[in-house]
Amino acid sequence: MDYALQQLLNALAFGAEYSLVALGLAVVFSIMGLVNFAHGEIIGVSAYSVFLAAALGLTSPFVAVLLAVGMAALAAVVFERVAFRPVRYAPTTTGLLTAFGVSIVVQNLFMLLISPKPQSVSVLNGLNQMWFFGPFAVSSLQVMELIVSGLTILALVFFLNRSTLGLAIRAASRDFATVRLMGIKANRVIATAFAISGALAGIAAVFILARRGSVSPDLGFGLVLKAFVACVIGGFGSLPGAAVGGMLLGFIEVGLLVALPQEYAGFKDALTYAIIVALLVYRPEGLLGQRIELGDKEI
Amino acid sequence: MAGSELSQAVEQMAAPAATAQFGNAILRSLIGGLVTALPVLVIGLLVLNFAPTYYTFLALGAFVNLIVVVGLQVFMGNSNIANLGHSAFVGLGAYGVAILSTPLAMKKLSIPNAPFGFATLELDPVSSALIALVVVGIVALVSGKVISRLSGVAATIVSLALLIIVHSVFLNWTDLFKGNQAFFGIPKVVGLPWMLVFAVLAIVAARLFKDSRWGLQLRASAQSPQAAAALGIDAKKLRLMSWVLSALICGLAGVLYAYFAGTISPKLFYFQMIFNTLAMLILGGMATVTGAVTGVIVLSIGLEFIRSIESGVTVADIQMPQLLGLSGVALGVVIVLCMAFRPSGISGRHELDELVSLLFRRNAR
Repeated sequence: MDYALQQLLNALAFGAEYSLVALGLAVVFSIMGLVNFAHGEIIGVSAYSVFLAAALGLTSPFVAVLLAVGMAALAAVVFERVAFRPVRYAPTTTGLLTAFGVSIVVQNLFMLLISPKPQSVSVLNGLNQMWFFGPFAVSSLQVMELIVSGLTILALVFFLNRSTLGLAIRAASRDFATVRLMGIKANRVIATAFAISGALAGIAAVFILARRGSVSPDLGFGLVLKAFVACVIGGFGSLPGAAVGGMLLGFIEVGLLVALPQEYAGFKDALTYAIIVALLVYRPEGLLGQRIELGDKEI
Repeated sequence: MAGSELSQAVEQMAAPAATAQFGNAILRSLIGGLVTALPVLVIGLLVLNFAPTYYTFLALGAFVNLIVVVGLQVFMGNSNIANLGHSAFVGLGAYGVAILSTPLAMKKLSIPNAPFGFATLELDPVSSALIALVVVGIVALVSGKVISRLSGVAATIVSLALLIIVHSVFLNWTDLFKGNQAFFGIPKVVGLPWMLVFAVLAIVAARLFKDSRWGLQLRASAQSPQAAAALGIDAKKLRLMSWVLSALICGLAGVLYAYFAGTISPKLFYFQMIFNTLAMLILGGMATVTGAVTGVIVLSIGLEFIRSIESGVTVADIQMPQLLGLSGVALGVVIVLCMAFRPSGISGRHELDELVSLLFRRNAR
């Protein structure tokens, strides 16, 4: 019973993390059709700024959390301004490759300017403790991950449904031209979307740092690949799809971890991806995606 | 541009009886392919006759990249879908021949517990290569079935997933692939002359596919899916076809790499190769085979230069520090700048032979 509960919590916590990152990707994709491969490097910037702040003597976890989220949002907005604005109206493939290029540049800059080796960050280790509920021992980090992710998603839904800017973002995902005709600045909508996407990545970065206790140049890259897969299962560009896809991915991963014998544990990633590709054979448009014929967006 | 290609496609479909004209077109495309391959041939022959061993080795690596980039162009250039998984096929080709053709004495050292009797099997290099390519073809056919059904973005993500699946199998199936360690002892049977022959063949094949009815229809459907579908073009089938051809060319590159280097390891066929070859294709221009060739030539030379700085040079008696990551930054910057300022790359939308004939026509006027 204890074991089952522990694995359930594991799955929920992993799922919550994937959902956060996948939502960040989906917010940006839904309004400007950009497949943001550089999202992982936003997580990287956030984590490295905590590392640098700690090196400068700022060791308060509270400051670290604020810094992580703030720097991630800032990095996302800067990436948009510098790299993605010139390709805003270009075809999807152009944007995708640009983002891929940005991701390579930033990853290698971490390597060049800081170090190719992982660097230890202990500021947020305090978040990772064991909590005891009667007979059950649970990781505080996982509980917090679940609660914070849930609250963040609620806040996002509230923002998108109740504020003018949120409404503009939702409308822009349907028809950007009309939104601009209503007198809303395109730059502002897109910058907001990037800031939201960055903040979500920053929250994820806090949890990654607390769990791993170190930063490395490819910190966010692997996670973002998984978040992409979550977006694809959920239906690319659909926000509920991203959240559901992330959760599903968490459950598939933990399920495989439990089911696979020790000597095959290395195949977990391969099997996860294989299961997802198999899902796509039956639902190419994703679980919650609408059936869009290739090219509909370009009209 | 879209209109002219589409109307060309319509003409081709409307007049299937015009076989004489069709034969002519094949000849023209064949000659075009050979013209495109000419700079490669010249560089290859120069290196073969005059260059010291170190540069020959570099050139061999560059030729492998050339074949990979040409293979990548076959899918990306014609279908306009980004493919980030092609080095999986390079790896499959390389490991295929490594497992089949490595001498038994070497296998006892490296993979003594290989399943399915591979530990006691030693084939000659040619049949190993053929079997490896068949395996690549089968994997491509199965993955292509999924990829050709998806819309552009999802297809790209699945190509990445394929890369991760294949890499993870290389790493974890240690009995067969030797895991993270280098797989050594593969017979070194390919030198520069063979490499040149296959590079030219790959270029010609890519060009023939691009100019063929299927290539034309696929390019038309990439530009305007609805219009192409309305003309009765089966884009899924064509995407699958170009995916498999692209994978086979990449697999061939892997086979050649294994046969010239003699030693391979999984990390060679992972993201680093994707970054390199993708930057080459984008810089040269992915719409044309000429673009693929141009990108490889320019970036191979450029990267070699940057790598020499990266490893720490001595300028005026001052030893510069190692700058790890510099070549990565350069690759990424090349991709970003190209996409922002010249998405069609150096060569644009004309092949080399088309440019030459345009030039002559202009002069004649």
